[in-house]
Amino acid sequence: MSEIVTIQGLQKNFGKLQALRDVNFTVNAGEVVGFIGPNGSGKSTTIRILLGIIKRDAGQAKIFGKDVWKDSLEIHKRISYVPGDVTLWGSLTGGEIIDLFLKLHGGGDKKKRDYLIKRFELDPKKKAKGYSKGNRQKVGLIAALSADSDLYIFDEPTSGLDPLMEAIFQEEVEKLKNAGKSILLSSHILSEVERLADKVVIIRQGEIVETGTLDELRHLTRSTVTLATEGDVTEIAAIDGVFDFQQKDNEATFSVDNQYLNDILARASKLGVKKFESVPPTLEDLFMRHYEG
Amino acid sequence: MNEKFARWSTLFFLSLKRDWKKIVFWVLGLGLFSAGFVPAFEEITKGQGLAAMFETLQNPAMIAMVGPTPAQSASEYTLGAMYSHEMLLFCALCAMIISVLHVVGHTRKEEDLGLTELVRSFQIGRQANSLAAMMQVLFINIVLALFVSGVLMSFGADAITVEGSLLFGASVGIAGILGGAIALVLAQIMPASSGATGASLGIIGLLYIIRAGTDVSNVDLSMINPLGWTYLTYPFVENNWVPLIIALIFIIIMMILAFTLEGARDMGAGYLPEREGRSHAKRSLLSVRGLFTKINKGVIISWLIAFVIMGAAYGSIYGDMQTFLSSNEMMQQMFTHAGISIEESFTGTIMMVMIGLVSILPIVIVNKLFAEESRMHLGQIIATKVTRGQLYWTNIGLAIVAGVVGIVVSVIGLGGTAIASVGDKLTMGMADFFAAGFNFLPSVLFFTGLAALALGWAPKLGKLVYVYLTYSFLLNYFGNILDLPEWFSKTAIQSWIPPMPIEEFDAFIFITITVISIVLLIIGYLGYKRRDLLA
Repeated sequence: MSEIVTIQGLQKNFGKLQALRDVNFTVNAGEVVGFIGPNGSGKSTTIRILLGIIKRDAGQAKIFGKDVWKDSLEIHKRISYVPGDVTLWGSLTGGEIIDLFLKLHGGGDKKKRDYLIKRFELDPKKKAKGYSKGNRQKVGLIAALSADSDLYIFDEPTSGLDPLMEAIFQEEVEKLKNAGKSILLSSHILSEVERLADKVVIIRQGEIVETGTLDELRHLTRSTVTLATEGDVTEIAAIDGVFDFQQKDNEATFSVDNQYLNDILARASKLGVKKFESVPPTLEDLFMRHYEG
Repeated sequence: MNEKFARWSTLFFLSLKRDWKKIVFWVLGLGLFSAGFVPAFEEITKGQGLAAMFETLQNPAMIAMVGPTPAQSASEYTLGAMYSHEMLLFCALCAMIISVLHVVGHTRKEEDLGLTELVRSFQIGRQANSLAAMMQVLFINIVLALFVSGVLMSFGADAITVEGSLLFGASVGIAGILGGAIALVLAQIMPASSGATGASLGIIGLLYIIRAGTDVSNVDLSMINPLGWTYLTYPFVENNWVPLIIALIFIIIMMILAFTLEGARDMGAGYLPEREGRSHAKRSLLSVRGLFTKINKGVIISWLIAFVIMGAAYGSIYGDMQTFLSSNEMMQQMFTHAGISIEESFTGTIMMVMIGLVSILPIVIVNKLFAEESRMHLGQIIATKVTRGQLYWTNIGLAIVAGVVGIVVSVIGLGGTAIASVGDKLTMGMADFFAAGFNFLPSVLFFTGLAALALGWAPKLGKLVYVYLTYSFLLNYFGNILDLPEWFSKTAIQSWIPPMPIEEFDAFIFITITVISIVLLIIGYLGYKRRDLLA
């Protein structure tokens, strides 16, 4: 697989503040990468460096194998970007701004534009100063999604959108994914990334603390199991890798390191299983684990 | 009644508390502007000044700008008569405009921002906020009126009588309240706050233009113009209080109308439908140049109009130049040079002043790019195939073009009016005026270059360029009177350029300053290319 985005040892300081200490990750062709971290962790700074808006202090950052600062123009021909807070010129209408962005990008698909305007239920004749946050976000999304690019960079793109519109956004991103496009999706809305991402990169205080596919990450963590048995369930608590054991009659809820799952199943089957439910860790759990240390 | 306006006084005091700094600035600023020029006018009255001014201001162009005077002869034209004649209309206009902005800002703007929604959820009457805003404008303008009267009287000039001072202050105050009332009505009718502000200012502008026509043709007709009820009180001459009474009645009618309209509409809605914009962009917008032109259009057009008017105002003096200048020692010192006709001398000096003002426009445009950047407007543009160079040079190009057009319209305003008012006797032709104007082009470029340098390396310092411009402007304006040492006056860039037609054109200096300016532009670009953008 060819690497679309390559970041190695990226650093950026704003005065004394170390915004990025050590950022490393890659986005491969046809991959959707979820870029997760709380506010102020360095997501937007990383993206701004990728776009050549700000200059890195150290490290490597490449898109399509080209340097993001020196060859920014070559790169920009093939990418689309939506910031988390789309700001617009109040005196222009949404429709005018979409056309302008498309033109500056190098022309996009007019049919797709009209389709998306309808799909996102945007009134393109309204002046941008009258738009709500969600509507401004739609303008940015429509412009980016109508442009034909190889890499799409979304920085918390759905902030301010209602759940219905968020779902439409996810469907549209899924279409891009199926068309083999690469996508870097920064977010703190975990369910959004969970649904779309092939790979997750977690950033914390300017450092990447975890990278991997969702499956890989889940492997490192614990599933939550609910087990009801005919015999006495208490003995399960003694097995290695079982945590937070809670029992009510013969039904127990506990978390388990995934590698010990087999032991538990073997023991439970002897007790006579009435109910077995296993919930894989949500990204939320992953996230919290990393942040609680 | 109580239901609708419940607790308006709470809101009234709250906004006084919230706005007190603004109010102090408003009353002091406008008040001193309205009343503080008495000493300067006293200076003009020395010698035959009053008689000369009386003649000058009989000129229809001047009447169209500042209004008529009831004085029949130069002997009736006292210091007070001149002061109210030249100052009252402009002060009234300023008072109106500030009140319009204030009323719309506190009523419809708050609705647009969603503040009203929150306020109305408390035990506050539906129309309490509008009443509070109107009462605030009433209060501020009464304070302003008293302040203006007080300052006028404080100079103790004979011709500035107590009654006249009170009337002058009251006229300014009434003008403010009138503006507030007009704004309150339009705040109900228009679909959004920006429309309400625009329509109110538009109506005031229209009233000003209409009165310019009726003042020249038949002053009685100006009395049916709401704007006329402010400056046609003729303080210090006729002291006519009747127009103020008419204005008060009009204000009450407007307020009743506004509150009736407001009572019958939903929050956030107006009576006029919102005008639909384009669903697709015109081709002319679809480029960096198109976008920059569009977002700067309003500013460019307003400044160009201001330049034409300024040129015309100075140009209309040419007709009576001899009487005007010979009457006043200060003016004489400013505008006369040995061996040169007074018109030529005036042209040279006034061009330096006018082209100094023209420099504002390119600075505004260059600084606009940083304003766009700090509003986070550029991030999505930078992410396209648009280069930083394109952003920078398009912006600089627009600034320079606007500067050049600014010089052209000022020159046409000045030269056109001068030639029209003097006729064949004027020794200068249009070409001479153009030469005198474009002689100062390098100074405009220099200011553009300074602003560009700031944009590239320290964009927050962009505002300092205005400070330097103001400094050099004042130096140029008063330099002739103050007899400053050479090195000191040379700290203003314009002082390096020999003013035409007083002196010969100096190609070396022209080219040197131009080259320096281009270098500044390039250094600015080097910074802009490599610095972190806010986006």
